[in-house]
Amino acid sequence: MRPDGKLPPPHPSLAPLPQRPQQATGTDMDPHARLPDPVPSPILKHSPSISRSLRSAADTSSVTFAADFRSPSKPESTSPSFDSFRTARSRPSSVSRSSTRRSASERAGSQRDLRDEDARFVYINDAPRTNAPPAMFPDNSIRTSKYSVLTFIPRNLYEQFHRVAYIYFLILAVLNFVPQLLVLSKEAGVLPLAFVLGVTAVKDAYEDWRRHRSDKNENNRTASVLADGVFRPKRWKDIQVGDVVRLVANETLPCDMVLVSTSDPTGVAYIQTINLDGESNLKTRYAKQETMSTPPEALAGVIKCEKPNRNIYGFLATVDLNGRRAISLGTSNVMLRGCELKNTVWAIGVAVYTGRDTKVVLNSSGAPSKRSRLETHMNREIIALAVALVVLCSVVSLLAGIWMGDHVDQLGIIPFFHKYDYSGAAAHDDGRYNWYGTGAQVVFTFMSAVIQFQVMIPIGLIISMELIRVGQAYFMVQDNRMFDEKSQARFQCRALNINEDLGQIKYVFSDKTGTLTQNRMEFRCASVQGRDFSETDGGEEDGHAVQADGVVLRPKTAVTTDPKLAALLKDGMGAKASRARDLFLALATCNTIVPIVEDTVNPAAKLVEYQGESPDEQALVYAAAAYGHKLVERTSGHIVVDVFGTRQRFDVLGLHEFDSDRKRMSVIIGCPDKTIKLFVKGADSSMFGIIDKTLNPDVVQATEKHLHSYSSVGLRTLVIGVRELSQSEFQEWQMAYEKASTALLGRGNLLRSVAANIERNMRLLGASGVEDKLQDGVPEAIEKLREAGIKVWVLTGDKQETAISIGYSCKLLTRDMTQIVINSNSRESCRKSLDDAISMVNKLRSLSTDSQSRVPLALIIDGNSLVYIFDTDREEKLFEVAIACDVVLCCRVAPLQKAGIVDLIKKRTSDMTLAIGDGANDVSMIQMADVGIGISGQEGRQAVMASDFAMGQFRFLVPLLLVHGHWNYQRMSYMILYNFYRNATFVFVLFWYVLYTGYTLSTAINEWSSVLYSVVYTSAPTVIVAILDKDLSRRTLLKYPQLYGAGQREESYNLRLFIFIMVDSVWQSVVVFFIPYLAYKNSAIDSASLGDLWTLSVVILVNIHLAMDVIRWTWITHAVIWGSIVATWICVIIIDSIPTLPGFWAIYEVMGTALFWALLLAVIVVGMIPHFAAKAIREHFMPNDIQIAREMEKSQDSRDANQPEVQMSTSTRA
Amino acid sequence: MMMDGSAAGTSNGGSGADGDAARRNNTRMPKYSKFTQQELPACKPILTPKWVVSVFFLVGVVFVPVGVVSLLAAQDVVEIIDRYDHACVPPNMTDNKLAYIKNDTISKECTRILTVTKEMKQPIYVYYQLDNFYQNHRRYVKSRNDAQLRDYKKSNTTTSCDPERFTADGKPIVPCGLIAWSLFNDTYSFTRGKENLTVNKKDISWKSDREHKFAKNVYPSNFQNGALIGGKKLNSSIPLSEQEDLIVWMRTAALPTFRKLYGRIYVDLKANDTITVRLSNNYNTYSFGGKKKLVLSTATWLGGKNDFLGFAYLIVGGLCIFLAFAFTLLYLIKPRLVAFELRSITVK
Repeated sequence: MRPDGKLPPPHPSLAPLPQRPQQATGTDMDPHARLPDPVPSPILKHSPSISRSLRSAADTSSVTFAADFRSPSKPESTSPSFDSFRTARSRPSSVSRSSTRRSASERAGSQRDLRDEDARFVYINDAPRTNAPPAMFPDNSIRTSKYSVLTFIPRNLYEQFHRVAYIYFLILAVLNFVPQLLVLSKEAGVLPLAFVLGVTAVKDAYEDWRRHRSDKNENNRTASVLADGVFRPKRWKDIQVGDVVRLVANETLPCDMVLVSTSDPTGVAYIQTINLDGESNLKTRYAKQETMSTPPEALAGVIKCEKPNRNIYGFLATVDLNGRRAISLGTSNVMLRGCELKNTVWAIGVAVYTGRDTKVVLNSSGAPSKRSRLETHMNREIIALAVALVVLCSVVSLLAGIWMGDHVDQLGIIPFFHKYDYSGAAAHDDGRYNWYGTGAQVVFTFMSAVIQFQVMIPIGLIISMELIRVGQAYFMVQDNRMFDEKSQARFQCRALNINEDLGQIKYVFSDKTGTLTQNRMEFRCASVQGRDFSETDGGEEDGHAVQADGVVLRPKTAVTTDPKLAALLKDGMGAKASRARDLFLALATCNTIVPIVEDTVNPAAKLVEYQGESPDEQALVYAAAAYGHKLVERTSGHIVVDVFGTRQRFDVLGLHEFDSDRKRMSVIIGCPDKTIKLFVKGADSSMFGIIDKTLNPDVVQATEKHLHSYSSVGLRTLVIGVRELSQSEFQEWQMAYEKASTALLGRGNLLRSVAANIERNMRLLGASGVEDKLQDGVPEAIEKLREAGIKVWVLTGDKQETAISIGYSCKLLTRDMTQIVINSNSRESCRKSLDDAISMVNKLRSLSTDSQSRVPLALIIDGNSLVYIFDTDREEKLFEVAIACDVVLCCRVAPLQKAGIVDLIKKRTSDMTLAIGDGANDVSMIQMADVGIGISGQEGRQAVMASDFAMGQFRFLVPLLLVHGHWNYQRMSYMILYNFYRNATFVFVLFWYVLYTGYTLSTAINEWSSVLYSVVYTSAPTVIVAILDKDLSRRTLLKYPQLYGAGQREESYNLRLFIFIMVDSVWQSVVVFFIPYLAYKNSAIDSASLGDLWTLSVVILVNIHLAMDVIRWTWITHAVIWGSIVATWICVIIIDSIPTLPGFWAIYEVMGTALFWALLLAVIVVGMIPHFAAKAIREHFMPNDIQIAREMEKSQDSRDANQPEVQMSTSTRA
Repeated sequence: MMMDGSAAGTSNGGSGADGDAARRNNTRMPKYSKFTQQELPACKPILTPKWVVSVFFLVGVVFVPVGVVSLLAAQDVVEIIDRYDHACVPPNMTDNKLAYIKNDTISKECTRILTVTKEMKQPIYVYYQLDNFYQNHRRYVKSRNDAQLRDYKKSNTTTSCDPERFTADGKPIVPCGLIAWSLFNDTYSFTRGKENLTVNKKDISWKSDREHKFAKNVYPSNFQNGALIGGKKLNSSIPLSEQEDLIVWMRTAALPTFRKLYGRIYVDLKANDTITVRLSNNYNTYSFGGKKKLVLSTATWLGGKNDFLGFAYLIVGGLCIFLAFAFTLLYLIKPRLVAFELRSITVK
């Protein structure tokens, strides 16, 4: 363990950082010398230079999605390289390069100064001029639907034929129309393709219809728009760029607009961005004073803003109000479509982006499509089947060639071949009839065989899989055990094609804050002037209500206080006490929290809620309130703090926002006693650099010790410092600040250096410890996952001590683990510790060969070491160590490193990875992993948007993987194998018959039956069983997490099983074909009757095969399996009732004979014997875990049934 | 096992109670139903040793008797088969059978003597059997038009009848197509001593075919008028529905060796009866090495003489009983108490 001070620079545990644009705070900071221009929005965050510490950072530093600075409370998000990630699509290395290029223009928009050619000009209240060519901005209608009535068929077909499989079937269908082939009739030939296309088209059409409906609703909403000097309602879709729109409280914004005036005299408007980024707290937006002063009707001018881009946290524009000096506009001046106006009576804005240019629409792209592992494997088997198909066809055409060679002299007169047309009218082909020479005939035979045997490659499979996934997703979404009561968040399936991957996960990469922890901060302890106050045992839960104007104001959240500290603050005398008060004053003021007063049922009591974007800040302000420093009012220029009952007004003279490079924020306060104080609050690593240790060395020392102990119990720490500024110092700063903030170039860097200039020689006041509470059930969930053989890796931006302590509290780390810690400051030492780690791993491995007694290992590595390791291409070694460890904890990692770590595992093993996180900083990792899960929690929606599945709580991972993942995997793997088997069986039956038809592709089975076979006769049971069958109950799966290993070991779908089932398929086809063949040899049987027998027996056989493998028989299963046999029978009867078909009435005739029934029975029994016997042997003599668990479950059930009281207790659901 | 959220309740202290109540009222929680929670009552059978053994045993017990019965039934069937295609060729032409069959000047009459081996109860089925004749050949089986046969208005419809659609002067052929064209045209008559054994050719085809597939008002026309005569000519004054030989022939056989019903003899034959068959050997099977056989056979409930089914049932039944014992033995040798350890796992 190393002292905090020496920790490498990136310091994440910092929490409270005002990312909210605070320019208004500057406006009144000094009534006499009002700053000419309010502080612009967080420019600092966008500098690409921040990311230098990261490998390949230069490539990836585009900021299209600088969603990150919205979530600075997350430790991860404050790590140095973080803000500059283009999170939406960022992939490390090569991928990121291309994405960077793509986003170049967007980046330019956000980061550089606006050039005319990159800008859009919006003439305020002059939509016609704004939209005049060449501008031609889109209107404000939203179109999420893909098709219109006219374009539906061509577009939908075009999209569907993007799939290779459909092309295959299209080719076959077209091939069938070659007159020499025409294996199937025209109608039958296109039926399979038409069916698949039709089902998909209906599905697409339905989805699109719903989109149309919601679009229509959205587009027809109204907003009041200024027209001819009055505000009139106008439909959303008709709003144009340049229109002036007026909104009242609780209205939703129809488009992206620049705020020009609000009901608030200072120009503040509050908006809720929940629809945009999922954050429910209020954000402040400001109207420029210049625009405020003009009534909206008289407003004229031009706004020059950047081209539409996806960055919802960046906006760059200037407004030129008819000749006056251009005023710069930033993020804090725009309100985006989808947000709601709150706590503001009205607001007026100018539409700048409409319709598809709005940021919310630009951001609404879906998750990238991934492919499930099972599907990848399935393709391997499909290739095998394709080879088999080619072999079958070659055999047939070869034999056909040989037969024709043998009979070459006779072909002309053989009545059933008839090479020539003797009827006399034959003018065509010099009397030949369908004869093009033996060679051509062989080729035709081959092609006909492909058409005839096409179902070898299961056409129904694609569509079945889609239906099954929809069904599985339905059950996952409906599962109320994965419903989060607190956030009312349902489980969401965003990607529909990787359900079954959930059953094979080997590695879980988890974010910490907001995922394992709640990101709901609670103030725990403070180190004040070297004294530790963490004893809250005797303390009371104190909201510290204050009375004002006869109304009791009470903070919404109570904080337990340390009585000694409370006493010190309240009654303490002397320097120590006043420093302590300064500390809490700093906590109450040095933030961006807005107090919002809420009414309660009691009119004399009101609640104060502290709204802010950082939970850490909220916790600190609540704590300050509990300790008597209650923030009661914050306006743009001053803060009112209630200090033990007396209201004090502080002028906010200046504010330096938090930025991840400085990792601190500061505020300059003009106190009632006319002193000017600079409060700085920040991460220890950054703070100790600017603290003058000579001022109070003992305090510094003690605080360092406290910080260490806080972080080792998992608290997030902040260090607070103060400096009194002299008037001259302040004026000097003010001038520098003014200059920097109006600079046209390099504003960010200038502001940063201004801040750095003043933030020095600070006096240490103390430190705070905030607890990030664990989410519910996290330790249990992690334990379950571990038992299930899933390795859980935690990737966090926190510092090592915090990470380790959280590791302990969530049972990731246990006391019996050997920890390997790699945290190195240099390349050399990093290499050395890695080598040490490897030798240690090897030593331990050689010591204990028995896996049971193996010492569990934990690897703890920090981001810096990772950088060195990735830099020096020592990934291989890291991988070696990492996979030997049971737990890996990466602290202080940047988002892209998270993706890099996931990639490390993905590249080097074939194991499935899952990444779970809730913040924008997890997006890269979520997209990199095989399965990405977003926590729909307090942080924004970026993680959810990028994820494949979204849910409310980390602990839902357990039912998701262990239960649904397991089921999905089992079901899907069985379904795929079964589909192969069922189609192959049918094809083999056809094939055997071809050997008895002179190697010509005729079938006894009616062509309609052969087409309907895979789409009607046998498809419903596979789909239903794959959606509903459960191998084990939820209870068993949760009780024995080890059962999850079945999926990890790929027990349900592998080459062995494929070969087995194919052998079974050959056997059954032999039985189906040859038993009737031998029985009807030398008889008068006609082909239609025999064909019907074959059809029925193969359908019954494959359905019985399925029935034998069904584990849970519900009434639906019964209905669908027996139902499809009955349906087949009915179809056969219907087909045989059509007099124009050659097989007319055959089924009735053949069903009247005893032989038919005897054969049917024989075929089914003989066909099933091997499967049945093999199943009996496998289940009894070599049972797998699932089988054993099934038996336990069964015996458990019967025990429950015998002992009702036991049943009572176990059947009560959690 | 998961805890509820009460632990974290401190954060929303004051309004907690109200919030909870409100939440319960308008929760987005998916509605509980046995279906959505995948808890439908279900039966989950497990393949226990008891089941395995009883299934095998049951199958054995059912199959063996059925096998015995069918074997006995097949044994009861008396079948006389006489291959005549070879024997009916005059000795001087055995080297060139094709020339023989193509030469219309040579008489195709032929006499065969059959001896009844066992008593045959009426009705005695008279079949002709063709070997190596691919009635299921793709080129052949498609060459027909069913619409034409059942509707006189469609007699001009000859699609898919190639290469027997039109006559040389372009008239549509009814019935068109290769199948009809190649209609079998050997004829048989039987005598026992002096007694003429009448062959009843009524109702040899399916009733459904006569009534719905071959119309009463469709008459053969332009049939067998081409350069190459395929087989039997049809009397153009008899409607198709009464051309039973055609109807039987048009029910194409499933396999390259097939029988077609020629007629029935409603006379009991005794053992050692001698039957004289006078046949005209017209049909050309020599071109493709096909065989022609005359078959006289009785029938049982199970059809003709075929031991296969009986043997199959016996063997399968026997096998199942064997398996039942084998499994019993296996289970006794290596019993496994239901469920106690998971392989890769120790159950706690």
